[in-house]
Amino acid sequence: MAMTVKPWQWGNVPSHEMATPVKGEVVPKLMKAAKRPLLITGGEALKEKWGDKPLIDFVAEVAKIGIPVIATADSYKALRDRGVEPAAIMSVADVTNRLQDPAWSIDGKGSYDLVMYVGISYQLQSQMLSTLKNFATHLKTMSLDRYFHPNATFSLPNLKQDEWEQVLNNVVKALKS
Amino acid sequence: MSEKWPLKVSAKEITSGLLHAKDVEVMIGRLAMEEAWEPIGPTPFPHVSTLRSWDHKLLGRYKPFYAPFCDYCCLCTYGKCDLSKGKLGACGLDLKAQQGRIVLLACCIGAATHTSHARHMVDHLIEKYGHDFPINLGQDIAVEMPHARLITGVKPKTLGDLAYLLNYCEQQITQCLSATHTGQEGSYIDFESKALHVGMIDHLSMEIADVAQIVAFNFPKGDPNAPLTWLGLGVLDLRKPVVLCIGHNVSAGIEVIEYLEKSGLGGPGQTVDIGGLCCTAHDITRYRDQAKVVGPISDQLRIIRSGAADAIMTDEQCIRTNVLFEAQRVKTPLIATSDKASYGLMDVSDLPVEKIVEMLVSGSVPGVYLPDLEKAGAVVAVTAIRMAPIRQKFKIIPDTSQIQSAASKCTLCGTCRRNCPIDLPVDQAVFNAKKGSFDMLAALHDVCLGCARCEQVCPQKIAPLTLIEAAAQAKIKTEKYLMRVGRGPILDTEIREVGSPIVLGEIPGVVAYVGCANFPNGGMEVALMAREFARRGFIVTLSGCSAMVASYYRNEEGKTIYEEFPGSFDRGGVVNVGSCVANAHITGAAIKIANIFARRPLRANYEEIADYILNRVGAVGVAWGAYSQKAASIATGCNRLGIPVIVGPQGSKYRRMYLGKAEDRDSFTVYDARTGEQSWVGPVPEHLIIALENMNECMVWTAKLCIRPNDTTKGRMIKLTHYVDLYKRIYGRLPPDLQMFVRTEADIPITFKDEVVQHLKEVGWKPWEKPSVDPTLLRRLVRV
Ligand code: SF4
Ligand code: SF4
Ligand code: SF4
Repeated sequence: MAMTVKPWQWGNVPSHEMATPVKGEVVPKLMKAAKRPLLITGGEALKEKWGDKPLIDFVAEVAKIGIPVIATADSYKALRDRGVEPAAIMSVADVTNRLQDPAWSIDGKGSYDLVMYVGISYQLQSQMLSTLKNFATHLKTMSLDRYFHPNATFSLPNLKQDEWEQVLNNVVKALKS
Repeated sequence: MSEKWPLKVSAKEITSGLLHAKDVEVMIGRLAMEEAWEPIGPTPFPHVSTLRSWDHKLLGRYKPFYAPFCDYCCLCTYGKCDLSKGKLGACGLDLKAQQGRIVLLACCIGAATHTSHARHMVDHLIEKYGHDFPINLGQDIAVEMPHARLITGVKPKTLGDLAYLLNYCEQQITQCLSATHTGQEGSYIDFESKALHVGMIDHLSMEIADVAQIVAFNFPKGDPNAPLTWLGLGVLDLRKPVVLCIGHNVSAGIEVIEYLEKSGLGGPGQTVDIGGLCCTAHDITRYRDQAKVVGPISDQLRIIRSGAADAIMTDEQCIRTNVLFEAQRVKTPLIATSDKASYGLMDVSDLPVEKIVEMLVSGSVPGVYLPDLEKAGAVVAVTAIRMAPIRQKFKIIPDTSQIQSAASKCTLCGTCRRNCPIDLPVDQAVFNAKKGSFDMLAALHDVCLGCARCEQVCPQKIAPLTLIEAAAQAKIKTEKYLMRVGRGPILDTEIREVGSPIVLGEIPGVVAYVGCANFPNGGMEVALMAREFARRGFIVTLSGCSAMVASYYRNEEGKTIYEEFPGSFDRGGVVNVGSCVANAHITGAAIKIANIFARRPLRANYEEIADYILNRVGAVGVAWGAYSQKAASIATGCNRLGIPVIVGPQGSKYRRMYLGKAEDRDSFTVYDARTGEQSWVGPVPEHLIIALENMNECMVWTAKLCIRPNDTTKGRMIKLTHYVDLYKRIYGRLPPDLQMFVRTEADIPITFKDEVVQHLKEVGWKPWEKPSVDPTLLRRLVRV
């Protein structure tokens, strides 16, 4: 874990402190350790690939395992078509705004402890992670996209497409086991 | 000195205390306000904090949401200070306040830019036509400058009056800017209040700049049938000498046309072809529709590198700051005319035209700085004519046959992509070209911002943008579209026609596609969205780069949006108001609805009019490709006036949104002006400014943000029909928040009646006790 990683967008250097880059096998461990995880997905999940499927299939798999998903942008319909009813449909700014409040959650059962983003355009996601890093210090955040997100607490490093797909495969496998 | 009157009355004097009549008289007398056209309202020439309580009301509902772009502050030598996670800087500032401060700074930059643009324009026009040149927009426009009347209480009559009003704008911007100094303001809410103030000033300055040029240059005065003009990278006639005008202040470009016409060389397109980039392009076609619009800011490098231009004339704003270097590469002389952008060039004001032309044509200098616009017009025209046979349209875009070898060193390292502002897969496209396939490169032409950041970083010294352009050459030649020339203001007669259906909700909304070209997936998205809403019977208005790219998409019959839809401010109309400064006419139309249709007093009555617009006028701004500080101040000015704005995903880099929380009922509670009772009216509009991820999401929110508390049942039903229809198309279900907008059964969209009724039953909806209120946030407007 002593990797030093450049932000995916080279210019996106927010601070001397950046996300802890995590290896693929650590991701499901963090997810399993979380008591109140939340996964936020967006429009890029319809465009990015996970093997021969769109990334939204990965999100649907995670949702079926029991992690609540919030569908932002136009990701809802694809999830529903895969048999998943997300916990909420919101814009990513709306959900991030509410996550600053430790008392807020969709189910009213108190704060989340691990908020994950996947399939949301890089810059918008980076800005949302910045909000939570600075104004929701009660939360841990993680990006599951294949780009290193310096504003997250944990982020995958910049991965090649096949490496990243492998990580996501392992996440699904580990969560199911 | 451009002012007619040396006397300057400060806003402080005017607004402090109880507004001494003597002061008012002095001011009004000086501004030729002898006739009492309307009693003076409560806030003439508002000072920085005059409207603070209105701002605090807005910010109480729409709380600033911050997404820092950088955790540090480096504005003074104590810094850099790390402000992350609750830490304070050496001066005591926290991160939220720092974000508010940067937003204020951006708004000051934006407002200062328009104000100095207006100042230059007005001074130039006074020099040309005199102080007393009248402000006359024709018989269909009696409320000639709604912002001026609303904000200052002044009804300007001459160019001299406009010069006077600019004193006020300059003073307010200076005041606001000073608050960003270390150790001044410390509250994010008050930074935001100042940003709102300076945003308001920005709209006044834009109005001054545009009205001045409309009256003096005889641009279309609100003509719904303003002519169509050619737009696109393929429109220039390369057989002729070509002049390229870049920037936002058309006074320079007009001098070129005047010179050509006076010299018997004919108008644009006769001896010399004239094309413009960015807002100067809009305004040059408002002057002569035979001039051409090359495109938005993103086309600058493309057209320069294509070698089309035989002379480049720059004025101000949104010019590539390395324009001199790029022009030199294609042997095109540069004539810089603005003191804001003089590129280190020699000031040749004292030399005769022939001598300057000789220097440029011989290549002894690559460009000159020439702020004497009349002289610059002559120099540019003659230089282009003389350079054309010498240059032979020398270009640096390689032929298709050279692409593969130019890409041959690509290692697919990804550096270009990781420095591309919108993360385009340019690495893969170049790598494919190395292997002989150019399709991906060519396709990027449609979405690429033309910024060339990729070229700065390639370790192999490959120039991806140049290769994209080379691969797209065949397509570029066909890029010729028709755009309606910017028509300027909305007619009072139009306002009388549409005021009622807009306020009652029967025209579902006014959607304004405004601003710059940092689009997430290319300009095509603006074209698609504008067409969608025009077809739905919304009034679509456009300005700036958005107005240009809206013509990029042709319908089934091969027509651009400007050919398909009428140019009137009416149901299903598509209205190009013009350049950035013409944005003031869009917000001006909202003000006029309150004044002309609803007869609300206009004069110096900002708070009441903004309250009216927030609660009744279903207007939304969409700045889908906003990048500039000007866009920040324009949007913030819309917000103070009660108009919500959507920005694209890159807009999250502005660091701040104003977001409501639908579930916070108190914040969406208003007074009923008829009874004084307080009523919840639903989250309408839900946000004042929000960044959204993609076009689909933007369309749904556009429809939703047009809903207002004042809608009649028929109006609400129509608005909900569009919201539900778009929602169902994109999300495949009813909106989960639908019940928040249905007040009575009569609001339910007929087309979706059964399923909406079912949904309402499931969520336990009950008809509202008070479905109809006369909504206001201002206690003083309660009539009992
Ligand atoms: S202005 Fe304040 S926060 Fe910024 S560098 Fe100076 S001391 Fe630090
Ligand atoms: S930076 Fe240069 S070498 Fe690297 S992928 Fe881009 S074009 Fe190829
Ligand atoms: S020129 Fe185009 S591809 Fe290159 S960095 Fe800019 S937007 Fe990206």
